[in-house]
Amino acid sequence: MNIKITYNWLLDYLDTDATPDELRRYLSLCGPSIESVGKVGNDYVFDIEITSNRIDTASVIGVAQEAQAILPMFGKKAKLKLNPLANSKLDQIKTGSGFNLKVDIKNPNLVSRFTSLIFDQIKIGDSPKFIQDRLKLAGVKVINNVVDISNYLMITLGQPIHMFDYDKIADHHMIVRESKKGEKLVTLDEKEIVLPGGDIVIEDGSGKLIDLCGIMGGLNSAISSKTKRVLLFVQTYNKSKIRKTTMTTGQRTIAATFFEKGLDPERVEPTLVYGVELLEKYAQGKVGSKLYDIYPKKPGKKSLVMSYGLFSKKIGVEIPRKKINEILTNLGFGVSDASKQGLTLVEGQTLQITVPSWRTSDINIPEDIIEEVARVYGYQNIPSVLQPIVFVDQPKEMEDIFVFQNRIKIFLKHLGLNEVINYSMVSKSMIVDGGLKVEDHLRLSNSISEDIEYLRISLLPSLTKNMRENKGRREVLKIFEIAKVYIKDGPSISTDNLKINKVRPSLPDEIYKVGIATNTDYFDLKGIIEALYKELNIEDESRHSREGGNPDIIDKNGIFMVELDFKSLINNSALIPTYKPIHPYAVIKLDKTFELSPHTTYAVVRQKAFLSKLLQKIEVITLYQNKLTLRFYYSSPDRNITEEEAKEELALV
Amino acid sequence: MDSKKYESEINSAKTLAELGELEIKYLGRNGEINKLLSEIKNIPNEEKREYGQKVNLLKTSMYRYIEAKKKELQNQKSEVFFDKTLPGKAYPKGSLHIVSFAIEEITKVFEKIGFIRVSYPEVDWEYGAFESLNMPANHPARDDVETSFIDVPAHPKLGKMVLTPHTSNGQNREMKRVDKPPIRMINISKCYRPNWDTTHTPMFHQFEGLCVDRDINIVNLKGTLDYFAEKYFGVGTKTRLRPHHFQFTEPSFEVDISCNVCGGTSKINGNKCKVCKSGWLELGGTGMVHPNVLKEGGINPEKYSGWAFGFGIERVIMMKYGLDDIRNYYSGDIRFMEQF
Repeated sequence: MNIKITYNWLLDYLDTDATPDELRRYLSLCGPSIESVGKVGNDYVFDIEITSNRIDTASVIGVAQEAQAILPMFGKKAKLKLNPLANSKLDQIKTGSGFNLKVDIKNPNLVSRFTSLIFDQIKIGDSPKFIQDRLKLAGVKVINNVVDISNYLMITLGQPIHMFDYDKIADHHMIVRESKKGEKLVTLDEKEIVLPGGDIVIEDGSGKLIDLCGIMGGLNSAISSKTKRVLLFVQTYNKSKIRKTTMTTGQRTIAATFFEKGLDPERVEPTLVYGVELLEKYAQGKVGSKLYDIYPKKPGKKSLVMSYGLFSKKIGVEIPRKKINEILTNLGFGVSDASKQGLTLVEGQTLQITVPSWRTSDINIPEDIIEEVARVYGYQNIPSVLQPIVFVDQPKEMEDIFVFQNRIKIFLKHLGLNEVINYSMVSKSMIVDGGLKVEDHLRLSNSISEDIEYLRISLLPSLTKNMRENKGRREVLKIFEIAKVYIKDGPSISTDNLKINKVRPSLPDEIYKVGIATNTDYFDLKGIIEALYKELNIEDESRHSREGGNPDIIDKNGIFMVELDFKSLINNSALIPTYKPIHPYAVIKLDKTFELSPHTTYAVVRQKAFLSKLLQKIEVITLYQNKLTLRFYYSSPDRNITEEEAKEELALV
Repeated sequence: MDSKKYESEINSAKTLAELGELEIKYLGRNGEINKLLSEIKNIPNEEKREYGQKVNLLKTSMYRYIEAKKKELQNQKSEVFFDKTLPGKAYPKGSLHIVSFAIEEITKVFEKIGFIRVSYPEVDWEYGAFESLNMPANHPARDDVETSFIDVPAHPKLGKMVLTPHTSNGQNREMKRVDKPPIRMINISKCYRPNWDTTHTPMFHQFEGLCVDRDINIVNLKGTLDYFAEKYFGVGTKTRLRPHHFQFTEPSFEVDISCNVCGGTSKINGNKCKVCKSGWLELGGTGMVHPNVLKEGGINPEKYSGWAFGFGIERVIMMKYGLDDIRNYYSGDIRFMEQF
């Protein structure tokens, strides 16, 4: 998520001599990434990317805390001049009386902290100019003083809040509970939400729902121009509940993006303190109730024990202890000598770190502390050295996949073919057009387009599409693709070391195929295939056997295509062809013409001719209509054969 | 023998081929001259010598005549203008896909420092894509990685079947394959996310580096990134790490490389560089392998540590060669493909 804050807003909390651009540069290197800084009027707007683990920095005070640690590393002054996180406590609020709220929390797991205060004598009007200006720069719509104050509080402190019209809450009674499936509620944006069930909601004394907690308030209890009394409502919720509700209802509000990440219940306190100040000052509100604070499980202090030595081991460079302590302290951590705390220590552990409340969810292991120190110290200050080179054996099976893919690709390229890479997913119509069965394909359950709904089991539908779409662009088109196809319920996957293939359902077999398509003619494609076999030194025998491919060339309205099994190509190939010793004996060449017919095909002639032990090779000389002239080469490696002998051999054909 | 006859015959030859035939007719093995010579046995002994000399003279004269004619015909031929600037014979060229090209380049860069390329499934369980990478179910970080699911019943232990949204599913598999470090892996594969617009395609390629050994630290990760940047993008290319967050690494970084277009200055002739943001280009995510990921792969994080990265192939091609319209990559358009 991204947030926008301004430079002047930040200076309310931070005393620094860093310019807006220095802030951008230094914070981006060591902390939250400031994606842009833009001058508007006499202020500057920072657009800041907040990573999901650091929701505590999604606020003015959060950025100020980071700046306090980072800027001194670049020789800049930075000190928090106001530190509400450390200093604002609930006992600073002067409570009142006269108005009451009855609260029932049905399940304590829903709300980690429930607080609220009632304000009387509210005057709805415009908020002051500085609040309006800053909210506009932060990209928030200005509405009225009460609503603006709630947004201003959220951006300042990172704690979303809600304001109810107190008089619209029937019987001034709030029942916090889980929703039932199908319950309905109209939210502030006037959308009717049908609840999936299990969502955190508030029901008032009349039985109607008035809040979809952590997401958006109900329209029926909203602040209006006539509002006299306001219920300031500051809570922290069960993050998984909020997340589920925001995902299933599609209500992705700003509040939800905060609450779903889990907020620090301690931050409720500075938010309330500041909220009272702003409502009194800018909406003439008077606190008219006691403070409601239901906080069943206040988390204890979290701390970690580790050694200074671990920093240099994991970072790879020595950082002075003083520097480590300074960085951690500026980030709000407590640092002390563990040996003085009476702890049982593993040898070398001398450092005890207490984690500030707003970091308890993202700091769990020593590596998390190492990251804090390393990033603020500055990755740019860490040297760069390659790790020692060691030998790791590459499994032959994996090596073959890459070596052969590359050989085949480069060979086909040199024959003049163009390589294409298609999506692994195809459409239903491509499958049907290719004569394949839809039910043999794995289907994507959340496909974004029907063009890419099924995982392909053949490369040919994709190649057909390529050939059609390129029609007319070039007179001659010859393309190929080497890619996996995905065969449902495959038996076993050799690279699958999870050993789960026996269990159903199983992962598909991922099988590499070589697909070739041309718009020339049958024998052109056959020639390409034969050339490839020769390049891979695939012997004639396996070339003509079923296993070696003997591929079926498909003629689809002038598109000639073939799909070869990549693994068979690897298995039948040889690094060099079978060596035949050169011999000095005569080679007898004989030509013979055949009349081709379904019974006398080249393949039949070839098969018969090779029954002769003396035949070395056959060449096609000419084909005129159905008259095929072949040249036969006879010789023996041991002796000179006579023309008569050769003729006898040929006569057998 | 009448000398006029052969002279006129040779004279009337129009091509070298015709002349060649006449040469055979007169001087060949069964030619006129040999016929005359074979008749010597019928000549009376006292005339044999003179007969032989005459035939030989005739042979020499014929030979000269033919040679002269040959030169004449050859000269005639060379009078046709020979234009050396014409193109040579056209040989087929063909093309490799730009992604194949980049994969080979990257594989070679890492091979030199002992990294082996591996092959792992593109269709995997949620376990491989998420849980084994310290991303438990319902973790918000899973949203950042949108996923394409396969419409089959979920596996009781390993979760739903997915198209891998990144190459990181290779991490757990490689840890289990080698059983014991060292690990030096480069995993290059197709990845899938349900995203299709001007800057995203639903299928793309990533390359994943994983290095696990004793005492691997941030210094080593920086060393490897600097090595890769210089080898792949060119000498003088610099890298920069910025803090980030990924579940499978701790600490986590984003890597930028210095822009080669403006030389990292963000200015070209005083104008803002159009390719980069203030002199840097974002390469991708990296970090030190999270101890939980090592544990899940059966490796003791007390003994071993490691780094990992996952970068987009299309992205590095864009950064290196400026091919910015990614949708062309998988359109199968011959006008795009044939250029590489």
